Amino acid sequence: MHMATTLTVNGEQKTFDAPPDMPLLWVLRDILGMTGTKFGCGIAQCGACTVHVDGKAVRSCVLPVSAVSNRTVTTIEHVGSTPAGAKVQKAWLEAEVIQCGYCQSGQIMAAAALLATTPNPDDSDIDAAMAGNICRCGTYVRIREAIKQAANGRQS
Amino acid sequence: MSGKMRILTSVVVIGVVAAGLGAWIIRGPGPLDFAGGTKVALADYRAGKPTGVPAKLEKASLVERGEYLAKAADCMVCHTKPGEKDYSGGLAFKLPFGTLYSTNITPDKDTGIGNYSDQDFLNAVQHGKRRDGARLYPAMPYTSYTFMTDEDVLAVKAYLFSLPAVRAKAPDNTLSFPFNQRWAMIVWSAVFNPDTRFAPDTSKSPEWNRGAYLAEALAHCGECHTPRNLGLALDNRKKFAGAITAGWRAFNISSDKATGLGNWSDQDLISYLSLGHAPGHGSASGPMGEAVDRSFSQFAPEDIRAIVAYLRSVPPQPSPELPATTAPVAPASHKEGITADARGKMLFAGACASCHGWSGESPVSPMATLTGTWAVNDPAATNVAQIVISGTKRHTPDGALSMPAFGEAYTDDEIAAVANYVTARFGTKGSKLTAKDVAGLRQQTAE
Repeated sequence: MHMATTLTVNGEQKTFDAPPDMPLLWVLRDILGMTGTKFGCGIAQCGACTVHVDGKAVRSCVLPVSAVSNRTVTTIEHVGSTPAGAKVQKAWLEAEVIQCGYCQSGQIMAAAALLATTPNPDDSDIDAAMAGNICRCGTYVRIREAIKQAANGRQS
Repeated sequence: MSGKMRILTSVVVIGVVAAGLGAWIIRGPGPLDFAGGTKVALADYRAGKPTGVPAKLEKASLVERGEYLAKAADCMVCHTKPGEKDYSGGLAFKLPFGTLYSTNITPDKDTGIGNYSDQDFLNAVQHGKRRDGARLYPAMPYTSYTFMTDEDVLAVKAYLFSLPAVRAKAPDNTLSFPFNQRWAMIVWSAVFNPDTRFAPDTSKSPEWNRGAYLAEALAHCGECHTPRNLGLALDNRKKFAGAITAGWRAFNISSDKATGLGNWSDQDLISYLSLGHAPGHGSASGPMGEAVDRSFSQFAPEDIRAIVAYLRSVPPQPSPELPATTAPVAPASHKEGITADARGKMLFAGACASCHGWSGESPVSPMATLTGTWAVNDPAATNVAQIVISGTKRHTPDGALSMPAFGEAYTDDEIAAVANYVTARFGTKGSKLTAKDVAGLRQQTAE
């Protein structure tokens, strides 16, 4: 069963037909063409698909689109226009965090959500917010460093 | 009579009386005795029609009526092994004294019930007697189904016989002595099967009577939610007080305000039964999730309301092992609140927090909210561990929301740690599960 759904994605109203139980990730990638958000495990265990819903980091691969119809979605394509997202992206480039890059849009979304609520996170805050975002290249050390840089605004 | 004979006779008489009295004491009241009103035969009841199908199906075919009743009796969940054909049996019930397998109830003549006459089927469903004369074990809830009318039982038969015959032989039971002695069920049945049809209570409303019929004869709520007595039959002195069944806790559904349903609104109960979720009370998982998906979600709305009216009337039974209130929302920051179990916290951060949040109120969906659920407020953490092991899936009109199963990914020790952390952070009292407890829970689950 398809039905017309309206979503606010990255500040724009988008209307499309989708089954109500289609995961938000499918809608973003296949219907709206925003492929910056990645598919990883499909069961909310790797974090590659992280987006913001009402400013909170959520896993879009398990989130039915019907659950976000009246909520605001922000993806990696737009997170740079939020203050925390801009800082994170800048720090990510400065610290050269990225290796293969597949998990990194999820990492950046999780880090931006963390900084929006916790502007000066300590290591335990970073652990609590980032533990669910897996990086098989092992960039964890640089991710932690970049989050601290973004928080302090200092150059590497 | 000689002196010796007299003594012997006295001893036998005393023995029989003592055994009878003992059985009578253990048996206790019947499932509807709490209501206390005047019971009349169904044929003499004029105020309403508590049996059969809802009004919209009155004119439907026998098979369609049988389908509704088979779903209301939830035959399918136990008579289907996951991944196999519907009603073809083979589901394993792991009991402390061995494993029982459900039977094939498709109309296959060799391995199913294809040769059953109407009377054979009535004998099985109402009396616990197989076509070959052998007795059924009460894992088949014939002590509940015995309250069904002949007409309704035979409608179910017509539905089952309309399905494709599936050739599937269930494995042999592996019960140990003395439980492998089927003949002993003759005695058990004589004591514990009320072997009577539903009799309406004229002091109650037609809606209550419909609810009583649905809850007791068909949905067999008590089979999981009522504790068992020494004879492993339902102890209706503690009707609906909650019990552990197949490794899951079926919570208290009496009208107790603190630990039962006394503080649930009608809308909460309607929502929980028909959708498997009530805001602030959590979502149905495990066996209750199956009952919602296969049975309650298919009920007519008036039948759900009738069950709610009936549940409301069941006297309160406290669950002393549960806290008097569920815990409030946990702090939003991971730093505040309980942090004792560092390993559990680490697992929660990696595997759980992205959907359940640090406060217990899910950023994803109210269905994934932990705050307010009995599962996290149960100091035994039984259902928390089970849901972590097997995952859960809720079907709603808007589609499904699921949690993955972690049973293969995490060790028993890790599952115990995360369950202890979750119950401490989001519940009233943290659990103290060990790896051994988790291994035990895995072994009890039907599969």
